[in-house]
Amino acid sequence: MSLASQRTAAVPVAETETDIVPQEPSRWSLKHPHSRLGWIRPAIWLPLAVMLALLGGLWQWGTARMPYLLPPLSAVGDTLTRNPGYYLRNAGITLEESLLGLAMSFVAAFLLAVVMSEAPLVRRAVMPIAVVLNVTPLVAIAPALVVAFGFGSAPKLIITALICFFPILINTAVGLRSVPQPVLQVYRTMNASRSEMLVYLRVPNALPYLFAALRIVTPLSVIGAVVAELSASGSTGGLGTVISNASSMNQLAVVYAAIGVLAVMGSVLMLVITVIERRALHWHESAADRT
Amino acid sequence: MQQQESDAAAIELSSVRRVYGYGSSATVALSGADLRIEPGRFVSLIGPSGCGKSTVLRLVSGLEAPDAGSVLVHGMTPVEACAAKLIGFVPQTPALLPWLSVLKNVTLPQKINAKAGKRRFVGSASPDMRKLLRKAGLGEAMDKLPAQLSGGMQQRAAIVRAFGLRPEVLLMDEPFSALDEFTRESLQDQLLDLWDELKTTVLFVTHSVSEAVRLSDTVVVMAPKPGRVVDVVDIDLPRPRGERLFEERDFHAFEDLIRDRLRSAWRSDDAASVGGTNR
Repeated sequence: MSLASQRTAAVPVAETETDIVPQEPSRWSLKHPHSRLGWIRPAIWLPLAVMLALLGGLWQWGTARMPYLLPPLSAVGDTLTRNPGYYLRNAGITLEESLLGLAMSFVAAFLLAVVMSEAPLVRRAVMPIAVVLNVTPLVAIAPALVVAFGFGSAPKLIITALICFFPILINTAVGLRSVPQPVLQVYRTMNASRSEMLVYLRVPNALPYLFAALRIVTPLSVIGAVVAELSASGSTGGLGTVISNASSMNQLAVVYAAIGVLAVMGSVLMLVITVIERRALHWHESAADRT
Repeated sequence: MQQQESDAAAIELSSVRRVYGYGSSATVALSGADLRIEPGRFVSLIGPSGCGKSTVLRLVSGLEAPDAGSVLVHGMTPVEACAAKLIGFVPQTPALLPWLSVLKNVTLPQKINAKAGKRRFVGSASPDMRKLLRKAGLGEAMDKLPAQLSGGMQQRAAIVRAFGLRPEVLLMDEPFSALDEFTRESLQDQLLDLWDELKTTVLFVTHSVSEAVRLSDTVVVMAPKPGRVVDVVDIDLPRPRGERLFEERDFHAFEDLIRDRLRSAWRSDDAASVGGTNR
């Protein structure tokens, strides 16, 4: 009910000079930064709602025109509601693969970045290899890894870790190296040891870069897991396997349901990253325009 | 805090030479520089860009080594002096860590290299940083992040951080040059207050003649091409030197004197650059 009273101020007020007082913005205005319930305003949700309705309509139109290419949305919803456990279980497998691969990659890339920042020799030895590995399409490597490591989780974790490795490595290395010179000078005159500089200066300085990397890498980790599942047909499970099985049996609704679950999963992961980032980087410039 | 090392100068440069680059592209940043600073003195280095004043600071702080000659801080090499935590450094920018509160920023140095710290603080306990911050007018700002403070307040925090280790020698590299004039003058006040209490030796690099005269016991005039010391002027003005100082005739006399020395150093530039390494 407080909402109703909130939006009464759009009434124009006489513009005498004594009356120049900030007005509450109209409910169609986006300038309402302090309201916690800002998202209730039509200005926030309506554009998206219209867009979704349009896309839905387009989809249904496409379904009517070419039923062999697009399943009706109702059928997709149907299969999701009929056996949610099936999708949840497979989503869990894919999620586990991508998160585990991401974690492995994170630890390895972070440690390597630290070593590289402390020992230029290692950087010169490792960087070229990392670059070549990064430009090699992982989709091409995946089948080879499946041959080598079988249909279990090993090749999936390796592919996911590989795809996440490079962005974390590069970003962390840059962050560790980009402590401002005057800061380093101040702490050098205090005779700070290299490990103290690393712990107190370089690693915290690298945090914003690390989170930038995580934003890139989190969706990539899901891609890695799905690619690995797709290239190992006959895997134990996972949404990639669901997709490849269903498409070979021409169950389009199942394919699209799995795709939808993947999209939701990726979005939730990004949301989690964003929440953690806001906590960890409250001091950073990137937080300033959010407060 | 009186010095035990009675006869050793706080800072001593003897015929120091520093060259950047090699061969034909080499620039002589400092040539035949001699300088002796007694403990507890406030000394300013002044001169145009390229006269080597920042080089002197980097040499004394051990960030660079001289190509010839010697630099001693309380009879030790600068690197040893840093290891013994004798040196505090305030750079041109505040150089605070943006992820730490002001209080944590100024107390972090006491955690750094704690072993050397213990050796130093046998006699004198480390000062209470909260008290120092309050004295510097940062009592309210203690728990804020550096980005939430004005430029002047950030620089004050940087100065408190440097004083926090009770260094024997405080090196300041144009610390106020990025600030507006009002802020600058009030920071000069506070710097003098803090210095009065802790009585460290200060080596202060500045572009501003009036700043140098107001703060210093001694002003060292430097000239470029090659960077060298051309004159050492003692400022015999009574302390404390408050706002009123700017109205006094003696103050302006010293200002004029130093401007004069700077100008004549400029004029002798051509002769000096032919001679190269003389002095």
